[in-house]
Amino acid sequence: MMKWIQVLWPSFLIAGIGAIIFFTVVDPQELYFMGEPVHFSLLATYSIGFISLWIICAASSLLTIFLQQGADELNKPQSN
Amino acid sequence: MSERKQAAVGSDEKAVNSQVPNSLYEVRKKLHVRSITGAFTNWRWILVWVTQIIFYGTPWLVWNDRQAVLLHLTERKFYIFGWVFWPQDVFYLAILLIIAAYGLFFFTAVAGRLWCGYACPQTVYTEIFMWIEEKIEGDHNKRRKLADAPMSGNKLAKRMAKFGAWGLLSLWTGFTFVAYFSPLDELLRSAASFAFGGWELFWILFYGAFTFIFAGFMREQVCKYMCPYARFQGVMFDPDTLVITYDEERGEPRGNRKKGVEPRSVGRGDCVDCGICVQVCPTGIDIRKGLQYECIGCAACIDACDDVMDRMSYPRGLIRYSTENAVKMHWGMKDILAHVARPRTLIYGGILVAICLALLFGLATRSDLRVDIIRDRASLGQELSDGSIENVFRLQVMNMVEQKRTISIDVAGLEGIRIEGQTTIEMPPAGAESINVQVRAPVSAAAPGSHPIMFTIAVEGDDSVVVEEKSTFIMPR
Ligand code: SF4
Ligand code: SF4
Repeated sequence: MMKWIQVLWPSFLIAGIGAIIFFTVVDPQELYFMGEPVHFSLLATYSIGFISLWIICAASSLLTIFLQQGADELNKPQSN
Repeated sequence: MSERKQAAVGSDEKAVNSQVPNSLYEVRKKLHVRSITGAFTNWRWILVWVTQIIFYGTPWLVWNDRQAVLLHLTERKFYIFGWVFWPQDVFYLAILLIIAAYGLFFFTAVAGRLWCGYACPQTVYTEIFMWIEEKIEGDHNKRRKLADAPMSGNKLAKRMAKFGAWGLLSLWTGFTFVAYFSPLDELLRSAASFAFGGWELFWILFYGAFTFIFAGFMREQVCKYMCPYARFQGVMFDPDTLVITYDEERGEPRGNRKKGVEPRSVGRGDCVDCGICVQVCPTGIDIRKGLQYECIGCAACIDACDDVMDRMSYPRGLIRYSTENAVKMHWGMKDILAHVARPRTLIYGGILVAICLALLFGLATRSDLRVDIIRDRASLGQELSDGSIENVFRLQVMNMVEQKRTISIDVAGLEGIRIEGQTTIEMPPAGAESINVQVRAPVSAAAPGSHPIMFTIAVEGDDSVVVEEKSTFIMPR
């Protein structure tokens, strides 16, 4: 459970701050997605933007806790 | 050899690590917090009411025939009472955040975790949820028994009632939250037909679920494991910071004794070791072990212990708000107050006041008409048949007030310079317009090259608002 929280929670905070800054600076109506102007409603664009950021940040947190594993955890399968 | 040694060290580490609570649900012991009454508890409840009346009530306020406070995401405009903020005003938001941060620093340096103990939504909702829990499932002993009991009809009924009440409150909270960002009247209309927009419904449920899980289940773990502030608040503390303190000198050696026995005569301190201060603690710590980062400063243990002291006819305040220095040097309230003003608090406070003044100044001098002039890059200077030169500019005007206004544009800086065509714009309330203006000047007005010109944008019928914008006029060769 702690692992889930370590992955999902910091990424949630950073994605929230990131989304606020990003959408303050960038008007979603001026964004292009795959070469086409974004045609979702604004609320949908904000939401999708936030959730995508969250996923990206969570991926980074996931990698962090993955790389944090101690040597003993990695060596275990061979030594046992 | 060395490898094996390393492996041994590694597994030792592992053993140590596994004692650290690294799981949020499985390992932690569910706390059944005993409820308490007293002066600080009353303060906490007052703050619960005040913060929640503000939170649930604000979206219902009306101002200028519209929602008074609406951070209208889809219009990209923030309405806050008489003000309308645009994305260009992000500067004010940044200042507001800095003020909030410094306010937190300041209060933390003076009186510890006041925010955590009294006003943080995590504390407030936990408090409300615990109140509901107590009403439905009974006091802490009954709740513990119920939690340990096998599933039965009675337990199921109580659990369903509790979750139902929590759920309704959470939904209302989620709905209120969304009403800050999406107009309330539209939301109410969708609620009546239960036809919310997909994303609105998503955020209502999302925020509701957050409230439900955080206040219903995770509670003190949010403070202990998830809150960044809880981790760094310690750096703002110093020996003069007001914190919840157990007076060890007075309390120890703790122990049982009969009522009416003079504690020193049996070699005891004032603490009767009843453990009530631990039972009421929402984070499950023992304040008698000293200040710990888990302590959210809710003062529940003060109320609990004061109650015990009253019953033992000892003076109150074995646990009290005090400072490290005050306990050490036996200061009274007067000395504590005298130490509130010290370099750290003066610096935090000074910065806080300065930024607040800057914000007020910024708001007071904020222009309610904003103009952006961009020259049309496609056509630089163009010679017309009548011998004059035309430059085209793109004018973007933002009307920041909520009234319709007519604005007029004028240009100066060259002999005979004028605007061809439209020189007035009808501005919608709190709206933006952009138009092309053709500026013409006779060839004789200036030599080839670029020349500074000045646009003047004025509001008709209001002389107080005049915006001047510089640009350049290009004379072709
Ligand atoms: S409530 Fe007071 S008397 Fe009871 S254990 Fe705590 S400190 Fe001691
Ligand atoms: S130790 Fe006292 S003030 Fe701190 S969290 Fe527990 S009950 Fe609240």
